[in-house]
Amino acid sequence: MIGNIQSHLSQNLKGSMKLLLYLLVSVLMFGSLIGAEQTTLHLWHPMPAPSRAVLNDLVAEYEALHPDIRVHLLYKENEEVRMAYMSATGFTEGGPDLLYGPSDFTGALVEMDIVKPLENFFSEEELAAFDPKGLTWYQGHLYQIGDELGNHLALVYNKRLFAEVGLNRPPETLQELIEFGKKLTIDKDGDGVVDQYGLVWNFTEPFFFMPFYASYGGWVMDEDQNPTLNNDAAIDAFKFVRDMRDVHGIIPIECDYDIADSKFNTGAAAMLINGAWSWAKYMDSPHVDFGLAVLPVNEETGLFPAPMIATKGYYMNPYVSGEREKQVVELMKFLTGAHAQFEYSSRLATIPTRLEVRQLPQIAEDPVIMTSIEQVSRGKAMPISPQMRAIWDAMRPAYQNVLGGSMTPEEGAAYQQKVAVQKVAELFEGQDIDRDAVNITAILVYLAGLILVIWALYKLFVAFILPLMHGIPGVQVQESRFGVLMVAPAALFIFGVVVYPFFYNLVISFSNMGLTTVNDWQIIGLSQYGKVLTDSQFYHFFLRTIIWTVVNVALHVIIGTMLAMLLNRPLPGKGIIRVLLILPWAVPSYITALTWRGMFNIDYGAVNIILNKFFGIAPISWLIDPTNAFIATIITNVWLGIPFMMIIALGGLQSIPQELYEAASIDGASPWQQFKKITLPLLKPVMIPAITLGIVWTFNNINVVWLVSNGGQPGDQTHILVSFVYRAAFNLYRYGYAAAFSFMIFLMLALFSVKFMQKNKATETAY
Amino acid sequence: MKKTSPLQYIMIYSILLVAVAWSIYPILRVITISIRPGDNLLTESLSIIPDDWTFDNYIKLFVDHPFGTWIWNSILVTVTVVITGVALASTAGYALSRFRFPGREASLLSLLVTQMFPATMLLLPLFIMLSSLHLINTYLGLIVIYSSTALPFCVWQMKGYYDTIPYSLEEAARIDGASRFMAFYKIILPLASPALVITALFSFMSAWTEYIVAAQVLWYEEMFTLPIGLKSFQANMTTEWGLYAAGAMIVSVPAIALFLFLTKYLIGGLTLGSVKG
Repeated sequence: MIGNIQSHLSQNLKGSMKLLLYLLVSVLMFGSLIGAEQTTLHLWHPMPAPSRAVLNDLVAEYEALHPDIRVHLLYKENEEVRMAYMSATGFTEGGPDLLYGPSDFTGALVEMDIVKPLENFFSEEELAAFDPKGLTWYQGHLYQIGDELGNHLALVYNKRLFAEVGLNRPPETLQELIEFGKKLTIDKDGDGVVDQYGLVWNFTEPFFFMPFYASYGGWVMDEDQNPTLNNDAAIDAFKFVRDMRDVHGIIPIECDYDIADSKFNTGAAAMLINGAWSWAKYMDSPHVDFGLAVLPVNEETGLFPAPMIATKGYYMNPYVSGEREKQVVELMKFLTGAHAQFEYSSRLATIPTRLEVRQLPQIAEDPVIMTSIEQVSRGKAMPISPQMRAIWDAMRPAYQNVLGGSMTPEEGAAYQQKVAVQKVAELFEGQDIDRDAVNITAILVYLAGLILVIWALYKLFVAFILPLMHGIPGVQVQESRFGVLMVAPAALFIFGVVVYPFFYNLVISFSNMGLTTVNDWQIIGLSQYGKVLTDSQFYHFFLRTIIWTVVNVALHVIIGTMLAMLLNRPLPGKGIIRVLLILPWAVPSYITALTWRGMFNIDYGAVNIILNKFFGIAPISWLIDPTNAFIATIITNVWLGIPFMMIIALGGLQSIPQELYEAASIDGASPWQQFKKITLPLLKPVMIPAITLGIVWTFNNINVVWLVSNGGQPGDQTHILVSFVYRAAFNLYRYGYAAAFSFMIFLMLALFSVKFMQKNKATETAY
Repeated sequence: MKKTSPLQYIMIYSILLVAVAWSIYPILRVITISIRPGDNLLTESLSIIPDDWTFDNYIKLFVDHPFGTWIWNSILVTVTVVITGVALASTAGYALSRFRFPGREASLLSLLVTQMFPATMLLLPLFIMLSSLHLINTYLGLIVIYSSTALPFCVWQMKGYYDTIPYSLEEAARIDGASRFMAFYKIILPLASPALVITALFSFMSAWTEYIVAAQVLWYEEMFTLPIGLKSFQANMTTEWGLYAAGAMIVSVPAIALFLFLTKYLIGGLTLGSVKG
């Protein structure tokens, strides 16, 4: 059997070489003809760099075999590939022919009706060649063909560091994990700072907490997809992870994915819990003598920690049909075939879904794959229903709050259950509406819209077209026509881009559009607005956004103006200083915001190191404590925004005539009086428009908050309104609610800006 | 103004020195990561140039990835956006500054209003719109969107600058027989060059550094602009930070260079007009 496959593989290869030659000849002869008939198939995937290399090779091979086919690959991050596929396929019936991803995409794709059932394209025999776990069925249909069983976490350890303390095997129980961890947590230079940790992993993320929850007998949902998060298992598992950090001290206080990865990879940590996708990297690391082990058993319960296992594989776009459909199926069969799976497995030690490949000696005898398979046998399949998303979003804040100390484990368990139930309900909201009933609300909304449009057109006619034809008093007709002509191109550009999205959101905000109603949403009136306004979180984050905006803009203006005043005098080296102060503006903020996040790290961040070295301040946990995290985002944004205000202020200061100061000096005015009586009043008209704009920009600045706090961490407590709506609504496909929420943000800002400018008399009389 | 005393000088310089250090340190940090070997993120050293520095990451960018192509694509898109932006903002700003015409105040106010809607919510409808206009996988779609993102601000600041140029200059030209457009083109536009430079700079920044819209519109790696190319080094869980930092520096250097050369225009040229008047 095994030999059969190997010879089959090599025959395939020989065949392909012959085919290649044949094709070369035919291309030379009929080049133009074949070129014209080429079909390009699109495949989107979230594969990390090592798997991407294998995929590239496979596709090149496939294209050589099928000269009429070009396969076009596009890489995007996991979340982004899902969102991009949903936009392209769910909203425009476009998108790629194939989507590659983990099996937990399935539920949402099926609910949105944007994935094709595959059972009719494969014979029973073909399907029997797969491990049943490698085929993703949902509600009676086959939606995904897997090429890998993966994403499972296991224990990676550095044999060299183990040997240094006299250990020659990985821990076998959780008790041992702690014991070994203590032995391996070492302060090498005796300065009171740990230099090598026993264990690191991305423990603040619920996915990386799941195995422990399972080892106490817990699981995320029951058979009816209802969340099951409030139980002793959750409490015990919370305590276990917390104690590893606080009682046993074997894991760092702050540890996200990148820190864990970097620590282990450079030999600064002895054990690491990480997923199958990451192992290849550590095998190549010069600092790591790679060892892999299953997560050690929980001796209290006798259960093994069960990591979540996801099948990775291919989904097909439902809008593919005809001849193209055949081509896509053929490509999918190639990419999930024995040859392709062998390539992945042999190069990256992944677990193939095809049983025949798993039995090949190179695969079956590989120690990493053997351990990996053992770990999978102790794992549990990741639920593929869309509820899982809601559960993650509920677990994250509760879990992080427990770790941060603002909730007890008991409170955390109760809280995550409560939020999960609520979020699951939100996920399916709006689908219970009777679609056949006469929709009076819709008629009313459309009627109101129609009246509004007629009114606007009438207004436009009276205010715009009529004067253009007959002129306005005191202004020549010609002049106003010239004015309109000059503004028109820019206006067309701006409104061409803005108008449609604006009205689209307005309409959606009156609708029930959500996960299950993407294609058949209905107008339901104002109820989304009602939901926004009755949500206490809205007010909570509104208040926070105001603090965020006021503090930021105030500091931008104060520091910016101060620096401008220092620079507004003859000063050797002024030019270079000015340029250096402007630099934060010149570097894209998504780069510097990430850098700032790194600088706020508790152990390795420059901020703490500087505070410690020069001021002797003990390390501050910037990113774990919610208040500190919020301060960290503000510091970053202040840094980003000062140059703009400084430049505006410099311009304003330069336009103030020096004579005024000289005259004031002669009259004996003190510098403070000069500042108050001359500088401030003359700077104000220059600054007010900039401040208005600054407020509008800062209020909606999702970028900095998102990047510095890593999406609102800890526990979704560092959000401002825009990032909150993105996390809580858009993330759970609540399109209608998110649109209403955004409109509320928009209305508040518009109202405020108008009031603000009126109050500050930015309005002069028009000439 | 009174002469600055030596003591004052010392104080001013020390404040400025602290400000400069805090302003450039995070940027230097990016350089440090880009010349550090491997993905080693963690170090307690504050020094900018690591002992074992290397340009490997920069070399890798061009050898293993079509970084050259991406740079070229970005230049193409950015130049078009800058030209469009300058043309549209200079004319619209002029009209808003000089002429009274129906819809003028509404236009000024709506420039500000366009900045108020959360950008994250505009993405999906923008994508739908571009897709129905068959502008997916074209630079035209990108160019239109980039041009219009920077426009409101540019128009506003152009208008503010024109406001500071005396009206009498055009009147003189008109008396000499120049048409309205010629008066604008020959007399006012050259005077407004500092503001034009800023408009160009803002258009440049909005096109050169943007990746969110680009990631929605472009499906072909060979069509990528620099920022999405950069984004592709960021994978969830397996980001190649060294490469990312090196790419980030390459994105930043032209922007930094422009700011270096244009600072003197920036000051005094950047004048936001009031909404009315």
